[in-house]
Amino acid sequence: PNSSSYNKNPTVFYLVSAKVQELHVYEFNDRDRGSPAYLRLSQKSVNSIGDLVPFSNKIYRGDLQKRLGINAGLCVFIQNIPNLNCDRYEAMYSFYFGDYGHISVQGPYLTSRDTYLAVTGGSGVFEGAYGQVKLHGNLFPFKLFYTFHLKGIQDLPQDLLCTPVAPWPTVEPSAAAKACEPGATIPNFID
Amino acid sequence: MAASTSAALRAISSSVKLPPTTTASLSQKLSPFKLSNPFLPQNLKLTSSTTRRSFTCKSQSNPSDSPRSTKVQELSVYEMNERDRGSPAYLRLSQKSVNSLGDLVPFSNKVYSGDLQKRLGITAGLCILIQNVPEKKGDRYEAIYSFYFGDYGHIAVQGQYLTYEDTYLAVTGGSGIFEGVYGQVKLQQLIFPFKLFYTFYLKGIPDLPVELLGTPVAPSPAVEPTAAAKACEPGATIVNFTK
Repeated sequence: PNSSSYNKNPTVFYLVSAKVQELHVYEFNDRDRGSPAYLRLSQKSVNSIGDLVPFSNKIYRGDLQKRLGINAGLCVFIQNIPNLNCDRYEAMYSFYFGDYGHISVQGPYLTSRDTYLAVTGGSGVFEGAYGQVKLHGNLFPFKLFYTFHLKGIQDLPQDLLCTPVAPWPTVEPSAAAKACEPGATIPNFID
Repeated sequence: MAASTSAALRAISSSVKLPPTTTASLSQKLSPFKLSNPFLPQNLKLTSSTTRRSFTCKSQSNPSDSPRSTKVQELSVYEMNERDRGSPAYLRLSQKSVNSLGDLVPFSNKVYSGDLQKRLGITAGLCILIQNVPEKKGDRYEAIYSFYFGDYGHIAVQGQYLTYEDTYLAVTGGSGIFEGVYGQVKLQQLIFPFKLFYTFYLKGIPDLPVELLGTPVAPSPAVEPTAAAKACEPGATIVNFTK
């Protein structure tokens, strides 16, 4: 609709639903996807600005009972942070949820630290999504735990909702989810 | 009738926030409802409105559930490259002698408040060279980056960066006080690639802290942050400004 069509209806009011829905996701790097690809384009011996890190890992539902799909995107190395003993990346990537659609995010990734990234949008059931996602990073580099705080979307399907397993370093997906057995995946999950 | 309507309007406005006039840029997230909504009297008619209004309902006590504000807030910042961050890193992956598609430019610069009194943090992200524009003696980039504001959070942007003219980028989201933010940001280059001035037009967030809203210094190539801000002295930074 364009602005002139709005002007024809001056007495209609609109309420935006800003209900927050939480979605919990685990990211695992089983080292079987060639990821991450650390491109040392700075040509320096320590991680430096110029280095780029495309990546793609598997994602599981927060209770570790279902394989959801993958994430995919890019980390741009920014700087080492000496007094935190970690590296800062600017991260831009998406989470893929099979037939349900995807969520795109952008923001800070500090190795082995918690950060909040912006939810920049989504498709499918996530169309119109906004809000932020907490990245729990101290299981770096092979396991990460995310809590999405999503607004602007319809009620999420039960298939995606769960009571999450708390993020300890020893957590693992269920054997059925790891093996992508029927019932332990979402429809047409991306592998 | 008109008098009672306006009285009803005043009574309502005391219990329901009516943000200033919105633009017609409403998204499909909005769901229309009839005037039989319990928060409005049956006979209420706003005859003056030629634009949409959105309003919050007092019954929603959880601040994170309150509807997305359409009030526009302006925020100005300066981005300065002081050449002490190894930035930009021009990756000539096209392997051509002129800037060409394939070249990538990760970067990270310092950010100061618009009044140049406080160091706020940094920018961080990536410029993707799209094409060299010889007739403009410049280049087109697609830029994806974030502005970091210390403990306040961050704003993520995406859009075109032309080295030869002002552009608008999309505000794609944020975190902290900027959680849920949308809108656009105007980029004005003062000295390529060392000084840039931004005016954010932000919607969807609570009122910004006063600390960020000082009267901006008019952008020109000669502007500099105060010595205190450059030195990151106490009082000349925001809390836990991003380094």
